[in-house]
Amino acid sequence: MNGFAVEEEYQEKTQGELSNLKVSVKDGICVKGMQSAASSAMLIGYKPLFNATAVQRLLDKGAKVIGKTVQDEFGFGSFCLNVGKGFTAPTNPRDEERVCGGSSGGCAAVTAQLGDDHVSLGESTGGSIVCPAAYCGVVGLCPTYGRVSRYGLIDYANSMDKIGPIAKSVKQCAETLSVIAGSDEHDPTTLQIPVENYTTYLGKGVKGLKIGVIKESKDVDEAVLNAFEETIRLLKEKGATVEEVSLPLTTKYGIEAYYVLALSEASTNLSRYCGIRYGASEPLEGTFNEYFSKVRGKYFGKEVKRRILLGTFARMSGYRDAYYMKALKVRTKIIEEYKALFKEYDVLVSPTMPNLPPKIAEVEELTPLEQYMMDVLTVGPNIAGMPHISVPMGKGIPKGFLIIGDHLQEGKIIQVAYELYN
Amino acid sequence: MQVDQELTKKLAKISRLDLTDEEVIEFTESLKSVLDAFSKIQEVDTENTKMSMQPVDIRNITREDTPKESLSSEEALSQTNHKQGNFFKGPKVV
Amino acid sequence: MNFTTDVVIGLEIHIQLDTKTKLFSSSPTAKKKDSANSKCDVINLGMPGTKPRLNKEAIHKALKLCLATNCEVAPELVFSRKSYFYPDLSKNYQTTQYEMPLGEKGFVTLMSGKKVNLTRIHVEEDPAALTHPSGMDASKFSLIDYNRSGNPLCELVTEPEMHSPQEARDFLKQLIAILSYLKIFDNQNGIIKADANISIKEKDYTRVEIKNITGFKEIERALNYEIERQKSEDVVLETRGWDADQGITKSLRKKESEEEYGYILDPDIPVTDITQEMKDACDIPEMPYEKALRIIEEYKLTEEDAHIIAQSQSLAHLFEKAIKTVSASTAVTWMRHELNRVLNYNKLELEDIELNEEQMLVLMQMVEKKELTENSAKKVLNKLIIEPVDVKAFVESEGLGAVSDKGALEAFCKEAMDANPQVVEDYKSGNEKALNFLLGQVMRKTKGAASPPELLEIIKSLI
Repeated sequence: MNGFAVEEEYQEKTQGELSNLKVSVKDGICVKGMQSAASSAMLIGYKPLFNATAVQRLLDKGAKVIGKTVQDEFGFGSFCLNVGKGFTAPTNPRDEERVCGGSSGGCAAVTAQLGDDHVSLGESTGGSIVCPAAYCGVVGLCPTYGRVSRYGLIDYANSMDKIGPIAKSVKQCAETLSVIAGSDEHDPTTLQIPVENYTTYLGKGVKGLKIGVIKESKDVDEAVLNAFEETIRLLKEKGATVEEVSLPLTTKYGIEAYYVLALSEASTNLSRYCGIRYGASEPLEGTFNEYFSKVRGKYFGKEVKRRILLGTFARMSGYRDAYYMKALKVRTKIIEEYKALFKEYDVLVSPTMPNLPPKIAEVEELTPLEQYMMDVLTVGPNIAGMPHISVPMGKGIPKGFLIIGDHLQEGKIIQVAYELYN
Repeated sequence: MQVDQELTKKLAKISRLDLTDEEVIEFTESLKSVLDAFSKIQEVDTENTKMSMQPVDIRNITREDTPKESLSSEEALSQTNHKQGNFFKGPKVV
Repeated sequence: MNFTTDVVIGLEIHIQLDTKTKLFSSSPTAKKKDSANSKCDVINLGMPGTKPRLNKEAIHKALKLCLATNCEVAPELVFSRKSYFYPDLSKNYQTTQYEMPLGEKGFVTLMSGKKVNLTRIHVEEDPAALTHPSGMDASKFSLIDYNRSGNPLCELVTEPEMHSPQEARDFLKQLIAILSYLKIFDNQNGIIKADANISIKEKDYTRVEIKNITGFKEIERALNYEIERQKSEDVVLETRGWDADQGITKSLRKKESEEEYGYILDPDIPVTDITQEMKDACDIPEMPYEKALRIIEEYKLTEEDAHIIAQSQSLAHLFEKAIKTVSASTAVTWMRHELNRVLNYNKLELEDIELNEEQMLVLMQMVEKKELTENSAKKVLNKLIIEPVDVKAFVESEGLGAVSDKGALEAFCKEAMDANPQVVEDYKSGNEKALNFLLGQVMRKTKGAASPPELLEIIKSLI
């Protein structure tokens, strides 16, 4: 099926609350014994000896894994076109000339083709859950950083990676999140805070909620803006208080700070891929430096190499203070900017992406920098670790409505999302 | 800061990436524009700002010194063909 | 830095902390006998998707070392990633400490009284063990054993304040005593490795680093060799390796510039607060140097004797127990001199044996009460270092008890004299050696249960 890297079934228990649930898993999330390659030629053949915790929790309740979905290699992309050699980029099920969005493009594509008895486990670092959800017309929920264990997630950026569900409905996302979330001894960065039953937020309505519309997010394509403003009107009709708010710092510096930090971390995470112990390898010739450089040069895709070079630069002595260390501080300021608004507002909203899902040919014309700039609306909540959800809005070519909450406010964003899309 | 082919080659060497000549040219170009854009963050006033290692406050997560079962050496070696007996084979060091 | 001495030495020492599991994963720390890659898990192999989990016991032990060496302790424990590529690194970065080491500006006092300052002490993980099957030059590939990968290490860096290989050795001896007092290092299975920085005045203090010297005996050897080499050859700023088999240092690579390690804070490992509670839990005992000073003060031992006894916590403890029932000089003789002699003779170290405290006390008491001659006591000690014999029973069964009954001794002497009348005559006519013959006869009869001087007196008096 369009969107899969590997179509294979795996189930550990046949009885359980979720025995009717089919789960597709992003290629970069480990399923025991199933190739988990983050869609990179570098990891073809890697079959993990363990399940990711998020996968395990679903399997424990009887769910069945139906395969690994294709993604941008190691998460590096916003359109799911940067798939590694040996993998096939998915096409948008609503229009095969258009991209699915990335990096969890395969997740969204499969979700769009299947029913409500299916959920996909996606992953987001800078927007990779909500972007493809928006482009493919499905629901994508990205929880607070640390809410869901990253054990078994092949790292992109350790301080920004999050696993979250992509599904046909808000209800399915809420149910899945309730199962996979929670502290995990295998991942010390999980929050030691009890998990709620998120389904209790379905149907609570939006009356009395105070919603902040991010004014800088209105600088988007006309079709997107129209659908967005229509949805705002709908929220007002349903009894929410809606006001305009501003996120100047995040808008101006969010993308840059995000990429500097993410790539600094990513470039160290990818160092381990060198043709020993697992993954692709070559005949053992030459010195170790020659061997490593050969394997990495051959099996990493172009965007992967580009990001490794950028990340290596950002933490190099002489530049480290101005780039890597600076970005760590800018993140603090971005979080402060969101927190100030959350003192007054229950949720903040914006369109998910600034455009309609572009045609594949259009994306291929974009420079790397232009591609990075597409993340303008999603990097903010992602670098700040805030939970966010995208639901389809308007009609026709898919576009998404993004709802952002403060840390650990998954309930509130689900509440608003359900009101708009059920 | 000079973003040129020398820098690209240096970064490629540090990160052990063999690049073709075309790649060096192409990457130098994108490095130039991207790094230029990234340098914008230096405008932000972070005089009294702390670094955030994670976006949420997480501290003091440690574990007891209790041994768990190891993998067998077969399992440890199962993901590669570069092995000899119970050892991993790697490139030579000199 | 302004150097003035002939030789300048600094040490960087890696100490494997004695924990049951690795620094960031729960696989057991391997023993020498473990077969390759049999004590690994998905974390220490660096498998994609795994995350590090910090071992609290490793922090506790590292903190003990920092406090015992008078370091300023950091308020937080933060780890960094040091990126470089090598086949023994499972992630091609080492999780270590960069910005804020656990301890700084401590010091170690040598037996001579000299203080060697420490730059820093920090915690990091060990890489894997790398071998080349046919020797480094001939092999086409390396063999890697990840059992060791992830073991918790303390790295201790000294200021370049040692001025001879002997001083470096003394520093290491003192360090090992400290480690054994703190019980943070496994003598049997643990490894100590050092890198040494050395420069000499003659060559303008051009600094050479010698990497990966294993064991403190090799360190003195390597430094001695390197000083001679530097005197006789050109010296360049470089890194050399110590080849223990050939006894030489070999150039590894020119140190043109600092390696580009691209440090970042490790975002997978939450910060750990170093609390007063954690420091109190370290409960640092009296350290070797302080103990030696106190022993000198209280029992009037010589500096040398006191320091040697203080090197081992168990020996020092036994000494202070012994001193309650035997004299200081007996205790020093037997615990410092005789014990040392017997160990050397059997090619053993104090750490290799388990000396039974009770029985050692009994031995010393018997000697002091003259129930055992020195010779016999030495025999008993030889046995005692191998197994915890019941000294009194052993002495009796071997007939080693001193014969103190003068009458019985006289009888033995008379026997020997009667059996060798010619020898007696020889002595009477001036042959001193004849006396020794008679002595030998009596010694054999009494199985050395009386001391020679005593016997000589008796024989002379009978003649």
